[in-house]
Amino acid sequence: MSEPFLRIQAIEKRWSHDVTVGPITLDIARGEILAMLGPSGSGKTTMLRLLAGFETADGGRIVVAGEDVTTLPAARRRFGMVFQHYALFPHLDVGENVAFGLQGSGKGDAGRVKQKISEALTLVDLAGFERRKVHELSGGQQQRVALARALAPEPRVLLLDEPLSNLDPALRERTRHELREVIKRVGITTVFVTHEQEEAFDLGDRIAVLNQGRLEQAGTPDALYEHPANLFVATFVGRANVFRGDAARALGSNGKSVLVVRPERLRFADAGLPGVVRERRYVGAGAFFLIEGDDHQRFEVLAEPDAARVGERVYVEATRVIAL
Amino acid sequence: MRLRRSELAAAALTLILAWIVIYPILVVAGAAADKTAIGAFLGRPGEWAALWASVWISLLSVVLAAAIGIPLAFLFEWFDFPGRKTLGSLVALPVVLPPLVGVIAFLFLYGESGFIARAVQAALHLESAPWRLQGPAAILLVHAYSMYVYFYLFTRAGLAKLDVSMLEAAQALGADRRATLWRVIVPLLRPSLVGAAMLTFMTALGSFSAPYIFGGGFRVMTTQIVATKLNGDLPLAMVETVALALVAVIGLVILRRTEGDDILVALGKGIAPRPRPIRRRSVRILTAGLGWGLAVLLLLPHLTLALVSLVPYGAWTTEILPPVINLDNYRRLFSEAERLRPMLNSLWMAAASTAAAVALALAGGWFVVRRRVALRRAIEALLALPWALPGTVFGIALAITFSVHAPLQLRFVLVGTALILPLAYLVRGLPLTGRGILAAYRQLDPALEEAAASLGAGRWRTLVRVTLPQLKPGLMAGASLAFVAALGDIVASIVLYTYETRPVSIEILSSLRLAETGVAAAFGVVLMVVSAIVLGVGARR
Repeated sequence: MSEPFLRIQAIEKRWSHDVTVGPITLDIARGEILAMLGPSGSGKTTMLRLLAGFETADGGRIVVAGEDVTTLPAARRRFGMVFQHYALFPHLDVGENVAFGLQGSGKGDAGRVKQKISEALTLVDLAGFERRKVHELSGGQQQRVALARALAPEPRVLLLDEPLSNLDPALRERTRHELREVIKRVGITTVFVTHEQEEAFDLGDRIAVLNQGRLEQAGTPDALYEHPANLFVATFVGRANVFRGDAARALGSNGKSVLVVRPERLRFADAGLPGVVRERRYVGAGAFFLIEGDDHQRFEVLAEPDAARVGERVYVEATRVIAL
Repeated sequence: MRLRRSELAAAALTLILAWIVIYPILVVAGAAADKTAIGAFLGRPGEWAALWASVWISLLSVVLAAAIGIPLAFLFEWFDFPGRKTLGSLVALPVVLPPLVGVIAFLFLYGESGFIARAVQAALHLESAPWRLQGPAAILLVHAYSMYVYFYLFTRAGLAKLDVSMLEAAQALGADRRATLWRVIVPLLRPSLVGAAMLTFMTALGSFSAPYIFGGGFRVMTTQIVATKLNGDLPLAMVETVALALVAVIGLVILRRTEGDDILVALGKGIAPRPRPIRRRSVRILTAGLGWGLAVLLLLPHLTLALVSLVPYGAWTTEILPPVINLDNYRRLFSEAERLRPMLNSLWMAAASTAAAVALALAGGWFVVRRRVALRRAIEALLALPWALPGTVFGIALAITFSVHAPLQLRFVLVGTALILPLAYLVRGLPLTGRGILAAYRQLDPALEEAAASLGAGRWRTLVRVTLPQLKPGLMAGASLAFVAALGDIVASIVLYTYETRPVSIEILSSLRLAETGVAAAFGVVLMVVSAIVLGVGARR
């Protein structure tokens, strides 16, 4: 990796004596999309607001392209932001919203501003929407206006706060792909916050998992799924069964005490970990079988829909395990 | 660092507000601790009578206003009949009238030489007027007429917030109409009703025009204080002021305890029940007839005022209807410099005080809602406090505090200057602008301002382009109310005016005293029209 474009160095926010976020250190390459993934209260939104300049850091530095922006106010940071509820100005129309960040630079003549608005709206597939009222737009359109508005002033970094949480599920997947496409076409370095793993996997080049104000692990989706650094990451990212003690040993643990196995990496066999099928949940491509082991620990197996029956006694073996 | 600076600025704002809002009251309270004055107050039965009159007049005003306003609100919110919309807004009209204007309109209509008395007298060939509009009954009549609007508006607002699914849930659970009303609707309306009761009680307690014009020998505390002050017995006036303030505070505390939380707000908005069309033809006609009759009744004082304003001086003596009408009074109003002056006085003083009240409330809103400074409760309380005390209390407090030159005590001679009335109006306007702006600020999504910042807008641009446009409805509503209140004010004015700075209300009183009813009415009409226009602009979205 060449010199990172956005460097977060030991950044820290102390809300109170026992609530702190950070110190977190993270480097982001030019043009990379970084997802900050974590449960609510993990500090991911605080991190985003620190980056945007809405909160002041109590320690550490934020460096963009070699410039220290830690104490720079939001208005002079040139970071674009798409808010969770979009924060479109209701008293301005679509064109005026997009123009808001362009007028700040002042010198640009009216024709050039108009050109830029039209370009930004075309980018998000809303060409010709300039005179529309914000409240007449659908949720998806509002989201795209917010994106166009954030991108129009050509910011150095794009920040997105739960960008898809306000859309209905049917729209979400499509919007996700469109969003990624636009960001990649512009080539802007992007940080976005989400609490949904699927969204992070789909949209992010790399994912930073946050928990209780700390960075647990940062890496590509594959790396997080296959090589989680700890139990939190293993269970938060993707479905996971956790085995300890005898159960772990039955699945071939090599002396370590905790074993994490994904449901699709377990299969029914003639020997191995014994248990009884308690529930079967059909999901189309397969079925999840809820197994109760002899030690009353429950775990899930993803297998062919007809692989077992409820009440049946089965043996389970693992095709791949994560030892922690 | 930025936080520290805003804390300091907030402290400065708190000091300014405290200086104009609470300091004068404390000065009066301190000065009222005078043994002989307190002795005089306690020893005179007239004082106790006036205090007690204030209390029972206010309580009865609440009852009467509720008895008129609540049924009206249900009628207009729940039933559909021809003219519902027009009538619905007409019914709120008495709020547009500045109290003094309402009172003189009543005088011209129902007074002993008003239309109705003349008509009755002529019809029955009586020697003298059939009645005198005087004493407690007259005061209560005026109060009921002008204050039912509070109950009407609050109840309608509460009903509009009711969720129809809540009523359906009650029915699904087996409640009949009566049970739904008493067990669901009334409890949900309680905060609205208590709010209206508080507003009515405070307004009635502070009411000055009606007791002043119609009281005759019957005194309430506000008129008693002004009379004592005019008699030059300042120490006694101060004791009376403190007594009135105490009654106001006690009344508020008692009402507050019955208020409860505004659960309707907590539940969020639902879908309000649709007004039900009245099916039976006879009932429809009856309702519509009653409604329009009511509208005429409500408009009659305004119409009377307009008519009286067209009658030249001395032209109308014993006839039922005026023999001559022309625009003489208006011509005099606008051509004679001495008559134009009070109008200009009122306009500029109302404008200046409103501008200042808006500025202070904006600063307050920013500190309280956005910066959440340590002093936010103090700022909010200071902005709201003038609402809790009758205007007479502030009039006397400012008159006492700012008639002394003592810079070290932050007291300066403002009484007799052009500044004292705008200052009094400003204090009285703070709760109006403060409430509007704070509410608007609370609804304003902070993300909008952050969005502006992230798009490169500095503080000033964010304020002008984003914050102010968003606050506009609340700001305009508060400002227009404050302006209209200042324009028609008499309570504070009567204690503080000088000949040079006399406002319209004082001019109306002196015109009445000189029996220039036409001029007084013309002033009233002008006040009414200006108030209506300003309120109309303020209510526009």
